[in-house]
This record gives sequence, structure tokens and C-alpha cells, in this order.
Amino acid sequence: MEAERILSDAVREAGDRIRAALAMRFRDLDMAEEAFAFASLKAVETWSRDGPPRDPAAWLYAVGRRRAFDLGRRAKVRNAAVHDAPEPEPDPESILMAAFEPIPDERLRLIFVCCHPALAPEARIALTLRTLCGLSVERIARAWLVTEVAMLQRLTRAKRKIRDAGIRFEIPGPDTWGDRLDAVLATLEIAYAQAYEDAAGACDAADLAAETLRLTGLLCELAPDEPEVLGLAALIRLTEARRPARLDETGAMTPLSEQDVSLWDRRLIGEGMGLLRRAAELGSSGPYQLMAAIHAVHATRLETGFTAWPNVVALYDALLTVRPSPIAAVNRAVALAEAQGPDAGLAALAAVEGPERLAAWLPYQAARAGLFAKAGREAEAAEALRAALALQPAPAERLFLERRLTSLSG
Amino acid sequence: MTRPFASAKLAEIGEDETMQYLLIIYGDETLRDQAVMQEITAAHMRLGAELQEAGAIVGGNRLRSSDTATTVRTTGGVQSLHDGPYAETREQLDGYYLIEAPDLDAAVAWAKKIPGGPNYAVEVRPIWPLG
Repeated sequence: MEAERILSDAVREAGDRIRAALAMRFRDLDMAEEAFAFASLKAVETWSRDGPPRDPAAWLYAVGRRRAFDLGRRAKVRNAAVHDAPEPEPDPESILMAAFEPIPDERLRLIFVCCHPALAPEARIALTLRTLCGLSVERIARAWLVTEVAMLQRLTRAKRKIRDAGIRFEIPGPDTWGDRLDAVLATLEIAYAQAYEDAAGACDAADLAAETLRLTGLLCELAPDEPEVLGLAALIRLTEARRPARLDETGAMTPLSEQDVSLWDRRLIGEGMGLLRRAAELGSSGPYQLMAAIHAVHATRLETGFTAWPNVVALYDALLTVRPSPIAAVNRAVALAEAQGPDAGLAALAAVEGPERLAAWLPYQAARAGLFAKAGREAEAAEALRAALALQPAPAERLFLERRLTSLSG
Repeated sequence: MTRPFASAKLAEIGEDETMQYLLIIYGDETLRDQAVMQEITAAHMRLGAELQEAGAIVGGNRLRSSDTATTVRTTGGVQSLHDGPYAETREQLDGYYLIEAPDLDAAVAWAKKIPGGPNYAVEVRPIWPLG
């Protein structure tokens, strides 16, 4: 239907802006959500009857605003236990006459509120996707493998904490962003990791990946002078560019080194490279820029046909000094094996701290298997593959690992 | 509400703009030597002065060690005394500050300034407003 199409266009184009403006204006996330839902409902009703307005987004904002006013007034009346005459339904037409005002851009502030470091990371992500992106609770619950009820409780608790613990809707100036910006970046990083994890869930995770692409792009627009904001946006683009090559035609995972580079998304790679260059010009490095630089080296294979492994190793070394993690250490070992041979890689892998914990981590076992196989140590490679398979990999990884195991025994 | 330390600065911001938070300090009582304690105490004095200066303090105290605690527990309406703290954990309630702050970020900034050695925790809890 025409009205519905116009509505979905307007929501796609300006939905996050309207939601953020409502949330900031009324300092209440629940009210904003309800007001936006009401405006969308009214839109279909009114537009199918009277035809669409000149500026659908401004219409939605005006009706949402009016609705939020009424909701606020009703809450006040309820709290004061005063029984007034019931409020008349807002009349969208009269609102249009009275109050057409530009939609202020409050999205950055809303991101900062939703990603406050005093909220648990999984609550931050859920809140951002729900409040800013307008994803359904059901969709968010599916991504984090919890029930819709559990996710709804998580969201409710987070909103209550924002209200009762005194998390303000004002944000500090860029010079004192510190922890607050770090929490925003970490939230978006985890959201993307969730979308990236499941190579086979291509269609299901794709919308989530699209949201993190959009959010990081938005953040670059709103905070163009923060090098790590650009770095994270670049990292996500350079990684996401490889999605079309991550599965082969049988549905098995294809490791980076064996991917058909012609399947990579050149547009995303171009964007990522451009963002990384802009970040570098700002003259202060950081972990996201370093990770993006690593993936930029991989992306260069599209042009040159080879990977400059010594550069990858050097970038991992730099990353490990600013943000040590076993994940980076394992990846460095794999890169080192490419640069200097499997023995160097295996030695580096053995030096990674906490092997007991790592043993239960799939990428570690897969890396070990790969390096043992390269070194011709087939029995150990097979053992590592079996250990990896025992960790209940996703179907795409399972297929890949099983195939490796077969090729070893064959 | 009693506010022994309420300052002109807070009055300017206005009652509605500030909240009260209890900063609850949990530490490991077994790891206290004399010299370290003296240093921590001196740091608390400095923080107290700073809070006072900012007009942010409402109150605060150091508690005696948890082996002096008595817990009155009510179970099914029946009350009984228990010799010891509410929870027998390694980290015990050491003391608290009751502060006034415009928002959680400001309260957390104060909490980060609370001294306590290498390992301890400070819980930041908003106070339910009266009225």
C-alpha cells in the first residue's frame, strides 16, 4: 500500500533521527518509543485517507511529539491522583498546522546515553539497537540467543537504571569523552562481533551487520575528529567486505587465506581505506586503527595478489602493546607462521599465555591445527582438529574442520 | 532532609538538579598493615576535604572491622541475633560516603577518588529521593 511504502521510506531515512529527537526532548526512552509507534500507526491511517503529507518525517516527528506531551501529562495526572477529564486524542491535522519544526539531530547524545559505561555491555547493545535503530525486541533476542521475555527484561532494567541512577541525557564535551566514548566504541565492536561470528548465518546476521555499519558511519559523521571512531568504522567495513567470500558453495567456512578475493566488496574496502587514511591524518593511533590497518593489509591482496605478512606481524606487535589479548596473540602467531614458517608460528603460539583457557577456544585449536599441518606434523594437526570439533562449532566451521580432518587422514 | 555540608554552589544548581549517592567501600580486611592503613587514612582525609570544598559531601564514616558486627535476622517473622556481618565474604563493608552529585558520572568520578590499596571496590548507589 502506498501509505505504508511512504512510511517505511520515511522511517528508513529519518527514523533514527526522529526516535532520538523524541527521546532527548522528553528525557524518557519508553515514552519516545511509544510516541514513535503511535505516530507510525496514525501515519498509515491518516495518509491512506488524506494522502501523504509534504514532509512525512516532519509529520511523524510532530505527531510523536504531541503524543509524548499527552503521555507525559497523563502520567503527571496519574501520579498526582487528580481526576481530570480524559485527554482528547491528538488531532494530527491540527498539529501539522501548529508545529512544524525541524527535527534536531540528537543521535549522538542518544548513542552516548544508551552506551553509558555503567550499563552492562549486552544491555548497551540491546538498548542502542532498540532505541536508535528501532530493531524489534524479538530480533535482538534472536541475535543474542535469549528469549524475547528475557531481552525485554534486560531492556526494561537498563531503562530503569538510566532513570533512577541519574544517567543524564547531557553528554560531556569531546575533550572529556574518555570512558564514555570508549564504552560507545566497545558496544559497537561487540555488536559487530555478534553479527560477524556466524559466517553461515549470512542472511540472519546481515541486517545486524548492516546496523553496525550504519551506526559506525553515523558516528563518523557526528564525531569526525575522533581517530578511533574512524578506526572502528574502517575495521568493520574492511571485515564486512569479505562476507560474500566467507562460505564456499557447499556452505563450509572458507579461511581468509583461501578466499576468492573477487567476491570481496570493493565499495566497502574503498570506504574502509578512506576512513583509515582520514584517521591517520588526525595523528593519534589506537587499537581500532591498528586492527583496521591489519585488515587493510589483507584487503590489499585484492590489488596485489599477495599478503604482506611481515606487515601484519608488525601491526599485531603494535596492537599487543596497546591492547594485549590472547585473541590478538593467536592471530599474530598465525601471521608469523606465514611470514617466517610454521615452526616460528608454533613457538609463538606456545608462548601465548593461559593455554588452559585457550584450549576451549575454537580459533586457537583451528590455528594450531593449521600450523601443525603446515609443519607436516599430521598426527598433532588431527588431534587439534578433533579438539576443535569437540567444541561444538557452528555448521560452517564444522564442515570446514571435518574436511580438513579427512584430507589429513587421506 | 538534613544537609550538614550543603554549600552555596549546590544551592545555585538547585535541589532538582542534584541526587544523593551512597558510595559503599568494600575491602579485604585481612590485608591491612599499619603503614598502608595510615597512608589510606591520610588519603581519606584529603578526599574528605576535597568533597567538602566542592560542597558534595553529606556524610561518611569508616566502620570497625566485620568481626565486631552483629546481624539481626528476621526469618518467618522470628528475630534472631547472629555474631558476624550479613555476608561472610572476603571483601567486607569498610565504610561509606554519602554524597550529592548532579549525575551518575559525577558520582562515579568521586568513587574513583576513594583510596583503598591495590584491591577494593566501591559501589555507587543512588539514594531513593524523599517525598
